[in-house]
Amino acid sequence: MKEKLDAILKDGCDKIATAKTVAELQDVKASLIGKQGAVTEILKEVPKMEASLRAETGRAANQLKQQLTAMLDARVEEIQLKASEISPDFDYTVPGIFPQLFNSNGFGGLHPITQMCYDLNDTFRSMGFEIFQESDISSELYAFDNLNFPAEHPARESMDTYWLEGHDSGSGGKRLCLRPHLTGASVRFMQKNKPPYRFVYPGRVYRNEETDARHERAFFQYEVLIVDREFPFSAGMILIKSILSKVFGRDVPVRMRVGFFPFVEPGFEIDMGCLVCEGKGCSVCKHVGWIEIMPGGSPHPNVLRASGLDPAEYTGFYVNIGLDRLVMMRSGIDDVRLFHSGDLRFLEQFA
Amino acid sequence: MKLSLNWIKEYVELPADLELSKIAYDLTMATVEVEGWEDISKNFEKIVVGQILELEKHPDADKLTLCKVDIGGGEVKEIVCGGCNLRVDMKVAVSLPGAMVRWHGVGELVEIKKSKVRGIESFGMICASSEIGLFDLFPFTQEATIVDLSDFRAPAGTNVAAALGIDDVILEIDNKSLTNRPDLWGHYGIARELSAFYGLPLKKIEPCAIDAPEMEITLEDTARSPRYIGVKIEGLTVKPSPFEIQTRLWRVGLRLINAIVDITNYVMLATGQPTHAFDSDKIAGHITVRRARNGEKLLLLDDNELTLTPEDLVIADDEGSVGLAGVMGGKRDSVLPETNKIILEIANFEPIGIRRTATRYDARTDAATRYEKGIDPQRADIALAVAMKLFADLYPGISVTGFRDNFPVPLERKKVTVSLNWLESRLGKRLSNEEIRTKLELLGFDVEFAGDELHAIAPTWRSTGDISIPDDIMEELARMHGYENFEAAPIVTSFTGAINQPMVAIDRNIREFLAFRCGMREVFTYPWIKDEFVNAILGGNDGLHALSAPPAPDEKFLRPSLLPNICKAVAGNVRYFNEFSIFESAQVFLPGEFVSEYDSREALPIQRRNVAGAFVGGAEDVNALFRRAKGALEALPRHIHIENYSFERIEKPFYADDVVWLNIAAQGGEKIGNLALLSKKSALACGIKNNAVVFFELEIDALKPFTSRDNKFTRLPEYPLNEYDLSLLFDLSVKWAEISGVITAKKGEGDLLRGVSFVDEYRGKQIPDGKKSVTFRLIIGSQEKTLNSAEIENFANSIVKRLSKQLGAETREK
Repeated sequence: MKEKLDAILKDGCDKIATAKTVAELQDVKASLIGKQGAVTEILKEVPKMEASLRAETGRAANQLKQQLTAMLDARVEEIQLKASEISPDFDYTVPGIFPQLFNSNGFGGLHPITQMCYDLNDTFRSMGFEIFQESDISSELYAFDNLNFPAEHPARESMDTYWLEGHDSGSGGKRLCLRPHLTGASVRFMQKNKPPYRFVYPGRVYRNEETDARHERAFFQYEVLIVDREFPFSAGMILIKSILSKVFGRDVPVRMRVGFFPFVEPGFEIDMGCLVCEGKGCSVCKHVGWIEIMPGGSPHPNVLRASGLDPAEYTGFYVNIGLDRLVMMRSGIDDVRLFHSGDLRFLEQFA
Repeated sequence: MKLSLNWIKEYVELPADLELSKIAYDLTMATVEVEGWEDISKNFEKIVVGQILELEKHPDADKLTLCKVDIGGGEVKEIVCGGCNLRVDMKVAVSLPGAMVRWHGVGELVEIKKSKVRGIESFGMICASSEIGLFDLFPFTQEATIVDLSDFRAPAGTNVAAALGIDDVILEIDNKSLTNRPDLWGHYGIARELSAFYGLPLKKIEPCAIDAPEMEITLEDTARSPRYIGVKIEGLTVKPSPFEIQTRLWRVGLRLINAIVDITNYVMLATGQPTHAFDSDKIAGHITVRRARNGEKLLLLDDNELTLTPEDLVIADDEGSVGLAGVMGGKRDSVLPETNKIILEIANFEPIGIRRTATRYDARTDAATRYEKGIDPQRADIALAVAMKLFADLYPGISVTGFRDNFPVPLERKKVTVSLNWLESRLGKRLSNEEIRTKLELLGFDVEFAGDELHAIAPTWRSTGDISIPDDIMEELARMHGYENFEAAPIVTSFTGAINQPMVAIDRNIREFLAFRCGMREVFTYPWIKDEFVNAILGGNDGLHALSAPPAPDEKFLRPSLLPNICKAVAGNVRYFNEFSIFESAQVFLPGEFVSEYDSREALPIQRRNVAGAFVGGAEDVNALFRRAKGALEALPRHIHIENYSFERIEKPFYADDVVWLNIAAQGGEKIGNLALLSKKSALACGIKNNAVVFFELEIDALKPFTSRDNKFTRLPEYPLNEYDLSLLFDLSVKWAEISGVITAKKGEGDLLRGVSFVDEYRGKQIPDGKKSVTFRLIIGSQEKTLNSAEIENFANSIVKRLSKQLGAETREK
């Protein structure tokens, strides 16, 4: 019996080694351990054997079956990897081909949020604004301390912010997070540059929350800040109107009303007239004719101080707009999660 | 927060012609966001008081009764009803045809129609309380109990909402917009704001003087409990509160308990000041407000037993704690049916401690919500007055047997000095001193002028932190003036030079180059990576930054490269597309060093901006994909005007195929990117089975922009250039780089080579084993004359000779 098993093993080894395709291997597998395979036949005979032989033969046959199975699996992987094996003489020094319109499904294009962002950048550039970019990982110092969030503000403790492992228990500049909003970036810009300031700073921000069609963990904000010696808050209206008329291609009624945020004083909620009902009231605007579109206000004196400015001398105006929502409104997108899906069926709709 | 308009009107008389929409608009513009309003009487349209005149059994149904009902206006109608408590003379609520009701109190609202019930015409319906939304005011236990309105004076025909005095409008205020205005909690606060808007008198609530023996109350921590009023009231009984109080609480959504507890809730809704009633029989000795002992147990009203910490503030008697201060009362001393004496608590607690305790035990009670925003301690005076009046009205026989107002340090009114010139520049408008005075005085400020200075002294209810700097005064004046009444001012500016931000331009230029010139699609992916992609692409997570509470347990690592998530996007798209190309430009987070770029107190990981992409096609397309990706990268520097880079073989990226990879090196030689075929092994690990994927990644921050366009002009050739194609056989191991190197090596006088370009490489049929045919194009020309064909041929042959000598090139057999 031992000889018989050895013979099967030897034969199996040969067949496995010489098989060139996965299909060939399937046949080899069937001939060895399939329903009528050589090993299977032996296993079927085991119960009929003499008692003294039964245990030993059964064990040996099962062992062989396992051995062959492992070899077969290894060979399948080998063949799969080999199937794509590149000739070692592949010439990577050959010059490239310019990949014009490579994508057979259509043209390339920018992400719809990038499109919106560039639309706004162009608008603000035309008014002499610089563009600033802050890194994604920030600290409590910039995300909260510099922005006049009281030491006890719930947002600092809340689970809404993505804190970094190993850097989540300290405070200030040593407590690190994925930035929960863009506003901290303004202080970085002001610390590095000289007033007066007029700049925009687009970017992605992060909140640790459950996602659904209206909520995302990563989304885009666009902030605009102007700081100068004299700047009545009513001049902020120009910034707001610039954004909305660029986005919607026409003038949109706008109103500023009272709103409270730690980093501005006074603070505003900024509404735009509902474009669906032209302000008459409809289900989109919850029958008030206005849609809340962005917060804004004059930088709080403590924010100016953190930026190295004397609040008695300087003031300004800031607005923060959610790009995702604006793109959704402009294009009629109903699920915010599509933006990070990487799904070309979605992205190809934007040219 | 829900507010009853009728309740507000008790404190400020609003003109009859002041429309609700105007009030809501004005509050939204200048104070708090009104999210909506509900006219309660709208729910009772065509529901009237009816009086039963006659009752008769329905001939065909045991449980139904025929009722003759006076529905007012001289009309008597026959209505079929299944009520169990009907009697002659009873006043009931009748839903006339057209009214909306909820059958048996469940399901959607249904319109009542004239109909036949078991063969008999019924004009509407006599309702149970649950059918018209009044169950909380008229609870019942036995099914088919009809609302009995006999106690109400209103005659038949009166609308039910009017009959019950609930024809009110409820305003819904966004609580978030109250964050910095704790003075607005409660109807009195909003009434005060409206009185300021419209210049209407506010009803004054006179503090009440209490003449009673002094109770002992100890405040151990006056910072945490600045004020504590205790009033011992005897001679009470536990009974339902009067209907008027019940409906007020009901209208603004509060649960009805009993008269004593209802009064405490009423006071809170009226003034914003939480109050609490202890059963004084259960209080052993005297009340102490103190920090909890470590591990002290407290059984709360909601049967939740807490183990406290010294951070918590408790109300205690001689035996232990009886309540969690400012958050929730305890079980031991709660008001029970047999209660007849209480100690009424009207206290002030420091907000941060309350918020921490409420958060610690997840006890977001009405009291905690108000305390944690900061309530001025002086408000306890009006709360006490309102409470004592209600107790006296409801329980004429009571006696006050103990009183203590422990208020060691009254809150000072905040004084803010504002420069009038500064005010004008910020408002963009000059307000007269009189205007300023009037506006601020209406809001409860005292105002003094001294030269260019305005001294504004805030009322106590605005002195809890809300008003503290000149900007706050500016905001008060601006909102009272009306934000809409400021004309949008132009932005005035000066220029010192043009804006030049080359690194900002690079990022955009790269994206537009890849999208518009290379036909690639921009994607966005998350900064966190799934473990399977970390392992397949990066080969491990050594030193990677991670989130402490990641979106999913296997998505904690933050990307040091864009490729893992690009790969994920590829894996997602190969289900739908066989051929595509994508890219992303985003931040990556490098392991290791921390840096302080902005503030020495801060230390952030090194964060860089990368651009990465993938060219995806069929498994057999490796060569074409690789050349397209390479073509894109080769063209990029010239198109976006940056210093060129080169392709080198320095270090194989983990994910790359053993053969098909290149590093991208800056002119200094340092590696700034990669271009490589995704190895089959990594592809399979990412679930990509049937596609070839070529990745590239480039560090944007390492690119060096030219200060201007760098294209250089070459004089146009004077004599014709000739294209000359050659196909030669080479060993498989010979690379194009070597071939082109040999071709271009011999420069100098008389050299006729003006250029060389790769055309094609061919292996397979007709080519001997171990060989490949390489076709390339020579551009041949002289700068001195027009070449004849023999000269061209000669030159080409010299190149062939050189190639065969140095690289073993053979001409193809014809």
